[in-house]
Amino acid sequence: MAILVKLDDLLHARRMTLSQLAEQVDITLANLSILKTGKAKAIRFSTLEAICQALDCQPGDLLAHEKE
Amino acid sequence: MNPRPDILSTTRLVLRGLTGLNILLGAGIAVLLSTSFAAAPWLQKALGAQPEQMTGMRLVMLVGLAGIPLAHRMLTRLSTMVETVRDGDPFIPENAARLQDIAWALLWIEVLKLAVGAVSAATPFAIDPGFSLDGWLAVLLLFVLARVFALGTTLRADLEGTV
Repeated sequence: MAILVKLDDLLHARRMTLSQLAEQVDITLANLSILKTGKAKAIRFSTLEAICQALDCQPGDLLAHEKE
Repeated sequence: MNPRPDILSTTRLVLRGLTGLNILLGAGIAVLLSTSFAAAPWLQKALGAQPEQMTGMRLVMLVGLAGIPLAHRMLTRLSTMVETVRDGDPFIPENAARLQDIAWALLWIEVLKLAVGAVSAATPFAIDPGFSLDGWLAVLLLFVLARVFALGTTLRADLEGTV
């Protein structure tokens, strides 16, 4: 997919694990894992907002578009 | 022990029974049709039919035979759908296609009823084809349901990848 999810980089920068993020944003570890590995087909605004709030970032920090 | 009857198991059994009966009916009609050629006088006497009614009777038997694979298609598709409900995941694209198959089969069965009506009107062999608006409404309903099912499965597939 041309949309890149940079959750791994953000977590690394914040020295946070996926489990810790899952607890903070109240989203299952399984779903966050789907997002992290780029297997998600769509992301809800509520999920995006929760992640941005927890990681203190902008949606653009989390997602990027890669030209094919 | 579960005091509630397992509706799905009962439905599965009923569908299997109907599928078997349908095959038997087909075999019966085929035997009758063959007998109407091989031993026409005997069959006329046995059924109390007039000789001029035999052509109409044979045509109705042919139409009946044509309906057997259609009914078989409907029953087996419905059986498979019931199996998917038992397995816990009926909202799959294959079931939308099966529902559409059932709708087409029912449409052709209604057309065959018209054919029986035409034979009945054109020959001395009078038989009630069982005309009813309900059958045609059921066809429409099934086509609409198949479409709704197809859209539903697409929506669910979209939701499955949503986080």
